[in-house]
Amino acid sequence: MKLIRHKRSREAERWLKQEIREQKTRYRKIVAEQDALAPQREKWIAAFLERIQTRGFNVHADMLRKIPVEEIPQKPRRRFKVVF
Amino acid sequence: MARPHIEPFVETDVAWKKMTLPGFGRGMRYKILSLDTDTGACSMKVMLEPGYRQPPGMSYSEMELFVLSGSVTVGDQVHGPGFYFFVPAGVAMPALSAPRGAQLLMFYNYGEPSFVESDSDHAGAERHRYSVVNSYEGMSWTSTNFYPATAPGCLVKVLRFDQRTQAFTFLYCMTANFWQDNISYHDCAEESYHIWGTSWMMQFGDLPTGGYFWRPPYINHGAFACKYGTLALGRTDSQLYNHFHFNPWTTPEENLERAASRMQHWKPDLYKWVATGDHNHPVDFEYPGDHGHAHGDVPHHHGDHNVAHSHGPKRRRMRK
Repeated sequence: MKLIRHKRSREAERWLKQEIREQKTRYRKIVAEQDALAPQREKWIAAFLERIQTRGFNVHADMLRKIPVEEIPQKPRRRFKVVF
Repeated sequence: MARPHIEPFVETDVAWKKMTLPGFGRGMRYKILSLDTDTGACSMKVMLEPGYRQPPGMSYSEMELFVLSGSVTVGDQVHGPGFYFFVPAGVAMPALSAPRGAQLLMFYNYGEPSFVESDSDHAGAERHRYSVVNSYEGMSWTSTNFYPATAPGCLVKVLRFDQRTQAFTFLYCMTANFWQDNISYHDCAEESYHIWGTSWMMQFGDLPTGGYFWRPPYINHGAFACKYGTLALGRTDSQLYNHFHFNPWTTPEENLERAASRMQHWKPDLYKWVATGDHNHPVDFEYPGDHGHAHGDVPHHHGDHNVAHSHGPKRRRMRK
């Protein structure tokens, strides 16, 4: 038994509504901050795609595979986001 | 919608709030890290002010507690940093106090935070699942035993493992100069709180001390790096499998489809069986009463060869 059935009190209902409101605000802030990070992220991705061709991609633990250039993915045209 | 994707969130930037829910003692403050908007299940950082006292009592929801700093006295036992408690729903804990104050992580897994004063367990409580672990001094670091594995330098201590779902709670550390050049996603939700240290992920940047995430399944994260080392508490809600790849732009939908395709190749017979229309309702003989599925109009069976049926509205029992 992971939860004992109970009727949620009025105080708990109020508390939950308030916390949901605050979480929505937090979520929007995270999305905005992550959108602002996009130019820096592009550089990190470019460096990653370079490293996996030269040093290698971690297949398992410290087992590395150098990825040939023809396997390197191309950025799709659709909007790119990291928070869902 | 259950819990949204909260990543990254740094709680040190946020003010403490007074706990106003019924049952909790005076002197308890909290910060919500993430919250299930349907059930009220949540993860919180909690501060107990010096002198905090709570009588014996239970929670309606399964609950986990981790001592970050200070100490709590439970019954007559003092528990300092690194102590972890797993408390099943309805299990009455002894009186709890924090004579000198404490900071904790608290996880209410299936409902909003609740406290009901009681010195005996609820009738349905599963007392045998209650556990207390001294994670800092009573356990050793081990390599991760997930295959494919994380890079060397990522070590774990498993504090709790659920045999049914394979969900687990664990301490993990990354040693100084840790790096792992791949992108990962999982079939499970994953959660982490940074107790100490800063690590970096290619999507989200730095996650410092006090950093937190709740990440739903199939969301890309990584590559990874950590310059000076990190200590963190992690949790999953089911089995963690590392689906590694190197395409930074895939979506959760594409990742899910890839995971399903991989399952088709790894367990072809099982996949074929499940994918066959009337086998979408498997029964585990070890848990015959626990179906855990959405009843609908989809034909299914209960392991009793009664295949093509569905569960309509509940019928009233006829009085004889």
